[in-house]
Amino acid sequence: MTGFGEMRGLLIFGLILLIIVIVSLAAYLVTGPMGIEARYSHAVGMPAEEEEPGGGWFGFSLEGNPLLYVVILVILGIICLAAYLRWRKQEAR
Amino acid sequence: MIYDCQPDIGGVPVAHIHLPDGSFTLTWVLVWWFWALVLVGAALLLARRTKQIDPGKITIAAFVTAASFAIFQVQIPIAGGVHMNLTPLIGILAGPVLGALVVFIVNILSAAIGHGGWGLVGANVLVNFSEVLAAYITYRGLKRVTSSLFSRAGIATFAGLFVGNIAMMGIILISGIQGVTQTTSQILVGLSLLAAVNMGVAVIEAIITGLMVEYIGRVRPEILDGDRG
Repeated sequence: MTGFGEMRGLLIFGLILLIIVIVSLAAYLVTGPMGIEARYSHAVGMPAEEEEPGGGWFGFSLEGNPLLYVVILVILGIICLAAYLRWRKQEAR
Repeated sequence: MIYDCQPDIGGVPVAHIHLPDGSFTLTWVLVWWFWALVLVGAALLLARRTKQIDPGKITIAAFVTAASFAIFQVQIPIAGGVHMNLTPLIGILAGPVLGALVVFIVNILSAAIGHGGWGLVGANVLVNFSEVLAAYITYRGLKRVTSSLFSRAGIATFAGLFVGNIAMMGIILISGIQGVTQTTSQILVGLSLLAAVNMGVAVIEAIITGLMVEYIGRVRPEILDGDRG
């Protein structure tokens, strides 16, 4: 199945991707550009939330409190490291 | 019953269902929280039944939790602002049992930093779990169709996020929104357009998930083998 199977998978993936891009683009043209909160509010008929002022890096921005984000990410990183070291130790045995 | 409390942490009162706290009545908030807790309880019971959980699985669950939390909070400047959550990757790598616990933790942590109201955590856990489960089933089901890990993971991502959008629409339509004058059919049309735009980001997420799974399959294929979760 290697060659044909792989090609078949890629064909299905490409077809789905194409359909999604077309449908998504059409929906975007209907609704117009708006932030995610505004998009939700608009969809259900609620008054739009006031958008956060710009910022972030190249349009990328953080949702929520940045300090808490970093703190939680560091804690998760420590947990990952501990879990990984435990795994390595068990694998070595 | 009117339930109205806006979270004041971080000033962004939205969740994965990007609506402010108070959009659902307290009854529906409690209903979705109840089912989310039932789901987490069932996942804990199933996990406990496994005599010895493979430390490898625990490590993978920890890594996908960190990755999902990290990316979940980042708004990407596409179509006015969208974000990814990597739930299909959680389903593929951790499986549905550990996946249920992972999405619960990610939603709790997200609410804790002010990304999303606490009232919508229950509903969002159910939405995210539907993505995990659909991606897991699709990924495994495609094994007989194609040998390409990239395609399997990519298609599983599309399936997961599609099911997640359906679940999101279903939960909103069942719960109803407080204080709006739109009819159910108007809300359905609005949510359908929203879901269609949301699916646009699924393309990026599918490619990223596909590449990650293909890479893992090359360097550590045992992670993708067997019945996980």
